[in-house]
Amino acid sequence: MATDTSSIPNQRVVETLASRLRRRQVVGSHETALETVLVLRQVISKARFSNIDQLVEIIRSVGRKLVEAQPKEHTVGNTVRKVLHHIREEYHTASQGTAVVSTSSNTLSIARFVLQGQPRKQNVPQKGTLGESHGTLKENNPDDPDAFARTLKPVLMEAIQDVLDELETVYDNISKNAKDHIHSDEIILTIGKSSTVEAFLKAAAAYRKYTVIIADTAPSYSGHDMAQSLSSAGISTVLVPDSSIYALMSRINKVIIGAHAILANGGMFAITGSLLAATAARAHSTPVVVCAGQFKLTPQWNLYHEYGALDFADPSSVLGFEEGNLVDKVDVVNPYYDFVRPELIDAFITNDGDHPPSSVYRLIKEAYDDEDYEL
Amino acid sequence: MEANTLTSACSAVSFDIYETFASFMKDEEVLLHSAIIPLYCVSSYRDQISAPLAAILALTKLIETSGAGTMFELVKALNDGAEALKASNSNPISLNAGCELFIAFVTLLPHDSASFSDLKLELVRQGQKYAAEALTYRDKIANLALGFIKDDSVILTHSYSRVVMKTLLRAHERKRISVYVTEARPRGLGLRTYEELTAAGIPCTVVLDSAVSYVMDKVDFVLVGSEAVVESGGLINAVGSNQIAIIAQAANIPFYALAESYKFHRLFPLSQDDLPTHKPNILSFPLSSAGNVATPPSTGAIKPAHERDSNDKVRQMTAEQIACNPGVDYTRPDLITLVFSDVGSLTPEGVSQYLVGMFAG
Repeated sequence: MATDTSSIPNQRVVETLASRLRRRQVVGSHETALETVLVLRQVISKARFSNIDQLVEIIRSVGRKLVEAQPKEHTVGNTVRKVLHHIREEYHTASQGTAVVSTSSNTLSIARFVLQGQPRKQNVPQKGTLGESHGTLKENNPDDPDAFARTLKPVLMEAIQDVLDELETVYDNISKNAKDHIHSDEIILTIGKSSTVEAFLKAAAAYRKYTVIIADTAPSYSGHDMAQSLSSAGISTVLVPDSSIYALMSRINKVIIGAHAILANGGMFAITGSLLAATAARAHSTPVVVCAGQFKLTPQWNLYHEYGALDFADPSSVLGFEEGNLVDKVDVVNPYYDFVRPELIDAFITNDGDHPPSSVYRLIKEAYDDEDYEL
Repeated sequence: MEANTLTSACSAVSFDIYETFASFMKDEEVLLHSAIIPLYCVSSYRDQISAPLAAILALTKLIETSGAGTMFELVKALNDGAEALKASNSNPISLNAGCELFIAFVTLLPHDSASFSDLKLELVRQGQKYAAEALTYRDKIANLALGFIKDDSVILTHSYSRVVMKTLLRAHERKRISVYVTEARPRGLGLRTYEELTAAGIPCTVVLDSAVSYVMDKVDFVLVGSEAVVESGGLINAVGSNQIAIIAQAANIPFYALAESYKFHRLFPLSQDDLPTHKPNILSFPLSSAGNVATPPSTGAIKPAHERDSNDKVRQMTAEQIACNPGVDYTRPDLITLVFSDVGSLTPEGVSQYLVGMFAG
């Protein structure tokens, strides 16, 4: 009937992105998320399906392929889950009134009562509208297997556009309230070069005069780029070595850092050095604020706190071959991420409000469907 | 429907709710005869039902036998029944959670039944359906917690809990685990855990309640069951859980609680004294003149070591002394890492969201 679902992950667009992910030609969670949505949009616009399950399976198989290509880039999976969530939502609104769907779900049982709380007033009269079926959505139509896809595709494209729009406006929405978080004459510490933090600090600079202290973030020294970018935006900038973070902490009003992925328990993966900064901040009771878009919310619990290093970078920046004598004698590792425990974080500033770590799991419940946690 | 004690309790002129409750608790076989229990759980059904579910079933029986003709009368009868149950039970916390859940459901069920007796039948059906469904919750929780148990984990658990047992046994199927279990004086329920785990082939060692801080360094995480999880996200469980949680936090070790969602209880204790189980006699100082409680010389007194003679046998608390002790304690939410329940793995704060959903507004 519809195209063989197994062939879909092998389409050119998917293959291309998968191999670019594998070769780390696409880096950074924001860019990865954008690329993933674009690929999904292409796949869906070409896909043939005659019911929702086929469609979901198509998206999932593409998602699995991409996640496998680069399992450490959590935003790939997150974006796929988000798209699935939106698609289901659109499907449910589109099929509302096609009778079959809702009857069983409308009756309250104790289990549903526990799960969803008190029955809402507006849920009850819905029964009346069941009769007048205005849905033109017909699944598994044997005469015209593409009819379902034809009617649903426009709304699907809209749903994907929503995800895309959210990703494109993410920096603006996070920095919207920057001036409420940074006050005049404050001293802010940051680490690494996070585009989110960069946008946030620059937005605040339009209203406030403050100083940023940037740790140089060895061995990638991405702090240097950050310092350059901020100072050229007219912010008073101080670059310090990572080793002086603790000593400087007593003068710092706030630590603002970016995240690579936020996990369901409210902890996060962030560039190495973040744990150091967060722990030092805790010792001085300095607030730690994390700026991150909601596409970084990952429905996983970190089970392996000990192995904070999720990913390893090129060791040559730690010990290059020019140190020939030593290279043979030692093993060199260069962990790229730290796991920062939820207790060390005071708030997440996201594109949809500010949240404490303890409510991250709820954001995740709202953003994704439970059945997609495993793609 | 049922053949034994239950029918007599029901047909009796005065319906005794406590007897019904007890019959559900003790003689779970009654349910075997009713069609609502799926066959797969027949063999394992014995001993499965917990107080909140037995309370819900007892209340459905009450609806069946009650002659209430209006919603108001019915809710009053249910409230009275719940009160009676509470009064007749020394530890009413978890059964109270069940009663509250069911009564809130009864008052809020939107219905379009033709007559009141239809509605009553519907309520009974819902209650029984839930009780049957809820039996699968422990499996759900075990599967959820499984993801958090790494291979080669050393787990500390406290006393005996059916949901913890299920989780440990499930984990044992796939992973190597070893378990320390506290003795849990005075009832010694930890020994039951020990027996069952050893029988299943899980390496297990009983530790003294007073040795928890000694073993804590060797432990990967603490796993306890629950009597109830309250609105603050705190935990009510067999006495000793609180001190284990405090020690776990001091050692930076995760403390996980397992709780079926029918154990979510709308209660906000600020201290141990606020628990409904707290009676004036608990932790009271006996009057020295009374003499009936403080009977030092024979068994109770603590002598300095050098006075001890070799034929001195091990001292034990008297029943009176034990009676001055609490059976459950309250653990603050900030000591709990996660609560695993059938609705998902929640942070302690997450529990209040569900309680607010059910009972607020």
